Amino acid sequence: MSILEKLTNKANETNHIENVSRRNFIKASGVATTGLVLGVAIPSKAMAFSHSESEAAFNPNAFIHLQENGDLLLYCGRCEMGQGISTALPAAVADEMEADWSRVTVQQADGDEKYGPQGTGGSASIRVMYEPMREAGAAAKLMLVAAAAKVWKVSVDDCEAKNHFVYQKSTGKKLSFGQLASLAATQPVPEKPALKAKSAYNYIGKALPRHDQGKVVVGERVYGVDTKLPGLKYAAITHCPVLGGKLKSLVKDEALAMKGVLDVIVVDRLAVPYGSIGGVAVVADNTWTAQQALAKLKIEWDLGENASYDTVAYKKQLVKNVENPAELATERGDVNSAFATAAKTLKATYTGGHLSHSPMEPNASVVFVEKDKCEVWAATQSPADIQKVLGQYLKREPKDIIVHVTMAGGAFGRKFKCDYVHEAAVLSEKTGFPIQLTWSREEDMRTGYYHSISAQHIEASLDENGAVTGWLHRTAFPPIGSLFNPATVKPSKDDVSAVDNYPFGLPNFRSEIGDAKAHTRIGWYRAVYAIFYGFSFSTFADELAYKAGKDPLTFLNQLYDANNIEEQKEQVSRSKNALEIAAKQSGWFERENLPKGQGIGLAVHYSFQSYVAMAVRVESDGDNIKVLQVDCVIDCGQVLNRDGATAQMEGAVVMGMSLALSTEITFREGAVVNSNFHNYPVMRINDMPKVNVHIVESDHKPTGLGEPGVAPFAPALSNAVFAASGKRYRDIPFKPMTV
Amino acid sequence: MDKSITINGEQHPIDVDNDMPLLWFLRDRLEITGTKFGCGAGLCGACTVHVDGVATRACITPVGMLAGKAITTIEGLSENGDHPLQKAWLNNNVPQCGYCQAGQIMNAAGFLATNPTPTAEEIDTAMQGNICRCGTYQRIKKAIGEAAFELAKEVS
Repeated sequence: MSILEKLTNKANETNHIENVSRRNFIKASGVATTGLVLGVAIPSKAMAFSHSESEAAFNPNAFIHLQENGDLLLYCGRCEMGQGISTALPAAVADEMEADWSRVTVQQADGDEKYGPQGTGGSASIRVMYEPMREAGAAAKLMLVAAAAKVWKVSVDDCEAKNHFVYQKSTGKKLSFGQLASLAATQPVPEKPALKAKSAYNYIGKALPRHDQGKVVVGERVYGVDTKLPGLKYAAITHCPVLGGKLKSLVKDEALAMKGVLDVIVVDRLAVPYGSIGGVAVVADNTWTAQQALAKLKIEWDLGENASYDTVAYKKQLVKNVENPAELATERGDVNSAFATAAKTLKATYTGGHLSHSPMEPNASVVFVEKDKCEVWAATQSPADIQKVLGQYLKREPKDIIVHVTMAGGAFGRKFKCDYVHEAAVLSEKTGFPIQLTWSREEDMRTGYYHSISAQHIEASLDENGAVTGWLHRTAFPPIGSLFNPATVKPSKDDVSAVDNYPFGLPNFRSEIGDAKAHTRIGWYRAVYAIFYGFSFSTFADELAYKAGKDPLTFLNQLYDANNIEEQKEQVSRSKNALEIAAKQSGWFERENLPKGQGIGLAVHYSFQSYVAMAVRVESDGDNIKVLQVDCVIDCGQVLNRDGATAQMEGAVVMGMSLALSTEITFREGAVVNSNFHNYPVMRINDMPKVNVHIVESDHKPTGLGEPGVAPFAPALSNAVFAASGKRYRDIPFKPMTV
Repeated sequence: MDKSITINGEQHPIDVDNDMPLLWFLRDRLEITGTKFGCGAGLCGACTVHVDGVATRACITPVGMLAGKAITTIEGLSENGDHPLQKAWLNNNVPQCGYCQAGQIMNAAGFLATNPTPTAEEIDTAMQGNICRCGTYQRIKKAIGEAAFELAKEVS
């Protein structure tokens, strides 16, 4: 099971996973003192990356390649999709290595287990890789220092590394990293390199520009759609519109007769989690011809058992399922007697629709299947899954599938699944050509792994002081687990563990799980289940505050303070702190001075082990909603790249705003009705509010930020619109487009 | 007579179907890939190039209509990647995934050529055809404002 499956398939956001991967990582990278180390820290002559003696270089581990001219190549094993990991992790290496960042080039690593787990999701990269990467850098530094000490015949204690040089402390003599590279390669790999103190950080915690942005602004950054090979042919595909459907008939003469068309190929469904859903593809001289020919095909599908899937009806059914008793998940105390003795009670139901990731780069890859070789160039979040699925399809060993990981033009969870790569492999295998398959935007939107449609029903009781005495939480959504086991017809207990472990103090609590069979492919979408859990908890808490006649912030603080579970003390204090800063920064405490028609809403959500609070200020009459300002507070422990962290939050606001206000995937008669950005209206620049990001200074262990920023936006917005207008939104998106 | 098109100062024969959109002529025929495919329908702006200086969606513009025209793509916007917009983009660390940014920059460059001193609202209006899913809009706005300021200095 991949690390991401462990993390998010279970959707157990409080999972502690770093131990698992760390040990594997150390083994794989050879930083540890096992027999593997000697195999990795080899003399320069035999160096894996060295082409000749004159190009001798220093490779203490899989991540570091220091050349004799001092150029430092750092490999990023995790996949880059815009979240900034290929800047952040190498910066951690460079910091410990005392390298000069201006001499660093970052290279995206191919798919290879020597780089540790590469599946990139669950905001796990920093959590999992931060320390191993620092150790990789620290080990290299010690080997460079040892080399200098040898040259000068002095003790290593008299030597120190600084800014790409090693200095002799007593004399001020220096040797550059480049000069020391070859000799360093012959030094033993240190067993447990000590890491720097926070006060000595050069790059960690500072604002670093993306390593590759110079290439972006001149159009030289290479994405999944950009790979070119000699003899490359181009393909377009159309898919079966309904999950589980089959091809009934195909008339292809007109398409085949078109100039430039080479072949029309049926791609069968591969019923493994990330295999193709099934479709028909055209291979041609260029993508446009392939797309034109595709439109000429006459295809009939046998739509199968999901042909009646209709999201409007399905959502109504989910609501019914959560507004009636359902399967018990967890019970603490006695909710029924709390309700029976309550001074006041409140209930509400919250819903949300399917979402399409819709990254700006549609699914695309190049695959060349040869008799004894298979090579892939793909924007992917999980090269190992490409190896697995293509290995399964081609009946070859996963390790024999070579995967070059390109930059992804956005992914948001979609590119963890390699159905599009599998399809390119089918086309290459059947035609013998290297194939570039680029999905159209329409196919990307209609053939997704969608964020779950969902419903949650909450009932709560208040005593005469306005304190919460009971909380019943029913949840229903088609879970991601249905992708791996089609017999799954409702969320598992693990899927609702974030509900059970929500850090409010709820003395009497019961969670229940409603039925929700999947009729389409469900997948991780940036923030995953935190989208609807954040929405229901933080919106309902706001509604309860009004019911109790209390100020929402005061009420939230009381809810946290009522939590006496020892293991959740840290969650309580960090959540409250983030919330307090958001309130202060947004003008919450002076909000009676806001112009009429404006309001501020607050929300905080703990997910993927990070804390994000938002204060959203809107102008609204209830129907029209203008978001004016968002104050976003993050507590991710020790922040790695301050500017990258800020950018992630700005982006999370934009994605949160799209899903809170307008984006929703609608199914009718089994198929997705949306087709392109005109009827999947993602947020545009003219709706952009002012976003202020505040980073909590913290010495806690660093945690990731790709996903946690999305969850608090929608509830903060609902709360703000209510404060401004008295209108409450409980269904996301608030303003769905009728498609 | 053979039809040709000038791309970033270099002349190329139009040796494909006249109906082929400029985007695919650039990407698949000439293998100039800085201009990106996003939607194929003029809805997202990722494919924006200049046709005789005017920002144009390459995904819906047939190449056959462009005979004799001068096309500028992101690769040709400036000699050394030093157009004020490119510099402002770096200065503000605008890109996240970066996929839409060529289109954003080209659209902004076309816009600033017609309105060198835009207001914030005018920037919004000019840029609302360009989608960024990573959500870099705040920095795009700031970068365009900065570039406009620099351009104004160059002119005066």
